[in-house]
Amino acid sequence: MRLGLLSSHALLATPAPSQSNPHPKAPSPQPPALSIAHYKSSPAEPDGIAEEARRLTRQAIEALGGMSRFVSKGNVVWVKPDIGWDRRPEQAATTNPDVVATLVEMCYRAGARKVLVSDNPCNPARLSFPRSGIQQAAEKAGAEVIFLDERKFKRMSINGKVLKEWQVYQDVVEVDRLINVPIAKNHNLCLATLGMKNLMGVIGGPRNRLHQDLGGTLVDLAAFLKPRLVVLDAIRVLTANGPVGGNLADVKRKDTLVAGVDQVAVDALGATLLGYKPESIGYIAQGNARGLGAIDFNSLAPKRIEV
Amino acid sequence: MAQKKATSRVVWLRRVTQTGFFLLFCYLFLQTVYHPINKAGRGVTFFFNLDPLVALNSWLASHAWVGAMLLSLLTLAVTFVCGRWFCGWVCPFGALHNFFTSLRGGSARQKLQVGSYHPWQKAKYYALVAFLVAALLGADVVGWLDPFSFFFRSLSTSIYPAINKGLVAVFTWIYNADPGVGPVRLTLVTEPIYGFLRKYFLAAEQPYYWGSMLIGVLFITVVALNFWRARFWCRYVCPLGALLGVVGKNPLVRLKKNAERCNNCRLCLVNCQGGATPHNPLEWKPSECFYCWNCQSDCPPQAVSFAVGFHPDRGPDASLRFAADKVPSGDRRPQTAGSAPARAK
Amino acid sequence: MNTLSKWLGDFVHPPKVARLDLGRRAVLAAGLGGLGAKLLFGIAPQASKRSFNPALIRPPGALPEDEFLARCIRCGECMKVCPTNAIHPASMEGGVEGLWTPLLNMSVGYCDYECNLCSQVCPTHAIRQIEVPEKQKIKIGLAYIDRNRCLPWSYARTCIVCEEHCPTPKKAIWFEEVEVVNIQGEKLTVKQPRVDPDLCIGCGICETKCPVKAQAAVRVTSAGETRNPENQILLSPESFGEG
Repeated sequence: MRLGLLSSHALLATPAPSQSNPHPKAPSPQPPALSIAHYKSSPAEPDGIAEEARRLTRQAIEALGGMSRFVSKGNVVWVKPDIGWDRRPEQAATTNPDVVATLVEMCYRAGARKVLVSDNPCNPARLSFPRSGIQQAAEKAGAEVIFLDERKFKRMSINGKVLKEWQVYQDVVEVDRLINVPIAKNHNLCLATLGMKNLMGVIGGPRNRLHQDLGGTLVDLAAFLKPRLVVLDAIRVLTANGPVGGNLADVKRKDTLVAGVDQVAVDALGATLLGYKPESIGYIAQGNARGLGAIDFNSLAPKRIEV
Repeated sequence: MAQKKATSRVVWLRRVTQTGFFLLFCYLFLQTVYHPINKAGRGVTFFFNLDPLVALNSWLASHAWVGAMLLSLLTLAVTFVCGRWFCGWVCPFGALHNFFTSLRGGSARQKLQVGSYHPWQKAKYYALVAFLVAALLGADVVGWLDPFSFFFRSLSTSIYPAINKGLVAVFTWIYNADPGVGPVRLTLVTEPIYGFLRKYFLAAEQPYYWGSMLIGVLFITVVALNFWRARFWCRYVCPLGALLGVVGKNPLVRLKKNAERCNNCRLCLVNCQGGATPHNPLEWKPSECFYCWNCQSDCPPQAVSFAVGFHPDRGPDASLRFAADKVPSGDRRPQTAGSAPARAK
Repeated sequence: MNTLSKWLGDFVHPPKVARLDLGRRAVLAAGLGGLGAKLLFGIAPQASKRSFNPALIRPPGALPEDEFLARCIRCGECMKVCPTNAIHPASMEGGVEGLWTPLLNMSVGYCDYECNLCSQVCPTHAIRQIEVPEKQKIKIGLAYIDRNRCLPWSYARTCIVCEEHCPTPKKAIWFEEVEVVNIQGEKLTVKQPRVDPDLCIGCGICETKCPVKAQAAVRVTSAGETRNPENQILLSPESFGEG
């Protein structure tokens, strides 16, 4: 268990102790902290892109040292995609289902005992889960896709700069590994929604109040949850009218997948892919300033692969 | 209490059929949800399609109707021939009232008092006339009292949300309190049950509705009124019952009584669901009869039966399959011939 | 056959026992009751075609009001199937005649952009059976920003949750970056939302998700609904009776 045994009564968890992540400024003998996989072509929907997604995901993770670096035998893993909206995969409002399915398969091959796939979406879950294609793809890969149980949102001590306490889904702190799988999208309040914003999908309560200080609250959440791995889907990205989108003209193919252990670096890289300066995004700048990660992702010597 | 004989097979068949349609209604109710991707359950409006009152009112008020409503012609056709069989065998709301009426205890005398025909049963016909006239003028408000609308609306906006809230509260309490001894915890049993309920019965999210209190109170009142008068709604209020009563007022399948066997015990009246005064075929009210067959089942000398034809009397050699149970051999009396009316008793 | 001819004959000359003895006067009284009810319904303000209840937001695909009331059997199927718990039984919003007909309560739920379940289940097609692309073009109302309650407008705080959730492909809520002064006297730039009346379809997700509780800072009223050329604000195709 990541945070020690938790009874269902007292759920005031303290943030996880820092895990065995390499120091951002470590020399190269350490396995890479960041990998960027880019597909040489841009195959057509739907089959071409499915194959692309699978290959990009596998290569990006292999470049980091393989899934066994992040998932150990017998682990319970939560793969947390963006299933926030009642949208089709082509509309790039939700994570690419084949990326999710591939990650699930890789977790099982690395010895995971159980892989959960779930999200607390903005549109009703029973609508967004199947329409995004993630429910079907994940179930086919053997994951346990769950609709969140209201009873399991518990008040937890976040002890952040802005958030002291918040309702967090119990399972996310009880599983052994959390893998954050966002999709890169434009967002008119914070410019872009990437990994740290995607973590809003494991909390409950009046989440719509966090927008009054996204810079502070998202860093608090990210520091509390500390996902073991972040896999940013930038195969299709939403360049305008995000995070809901809807217009296919706003979807652009970037054919890229980013994987990393540094939440700030992955988000910074994602921001540049969307055409934004990482410093101009509040939670990235604050994450860097508070030591959560490195905004200068190049300093991590990312491994770039062409697939 | 007078001697009670075993319930006839027909009555058991009716109960099974009523229960079946009731469960079907509940099943279709639960199916009226989102199915991936963006589909409602199939055939969830089945009962509304069967309902001739809905079809008639829609057509009167809007001069249009929906293809599926043609199913209601089937209901009308059978009612034409067999009277208000629909109320006795099919209607799930009627089954609910039937059930609550049967919960009411009491002696045969008490049941007679509350179960006999009452002239106020005519109220539903006047209500029907009012609704139809209003519909003719464009105001389709029969939905307020149409039995399926009333039942479905009460379930969807009031009863089901309340049941959902109660069940979730119970399972949440158990989950949080986590009672048990050592490794043996109650949640080991309740959590799988809760998972099953979440998947097949409970709502995805707790629903809340404006106006649910009034709708819920009306529903509970109507159901509770069965303790005051047998099948209160069906007899006094239901406009669909009234419509079927009008259409079925001259059925081909009629009540018969073997006048020689009848000992005037009046047991047939005690459990009559519709208040149709079955003790005398010439006074029997086809418009109120639900064809529940209780009279036939309860009649100790097996004098009562239902058969095709207009002769009020019926001898032991009943040819219709659902007529009285087999007569013990040795009791064959000659039939009274001709059209002489049975001796009124 | 003897039985058959007797049976058919009884319809023409019902014998005493088969007659439904309702009484001519009583039936007439009942009929007049129906007529009276209809007349009284007709003098409710909603029937004037000038006064429209802002809360009477009908599901997309609903027929124009007169026809709607003529078809809706108040069965509650739409209320049960709505996945967002948006559809509720009306009390007096549609007049007495509209009792228990469906309307949308955006403070509880909103109309999901990709959903048309209510139009699939309506037994009498009071809510027309429409496909999702058509539903997405139907306006059921128009949102307006209550500037007095909106965080960036009145309280110098950032928000735009409404814009975040707006589902139309080109968002119907846009914003202006405005420099405001907070209570400490500091200047800050906030994004103040505005509704585009041409794009807004009145789905209500903005009202449902608005963090301002106890009356949202962005609300939907029925004005602008496609099905009613009278209940309009703009000079637009809807007001010509098109769209």
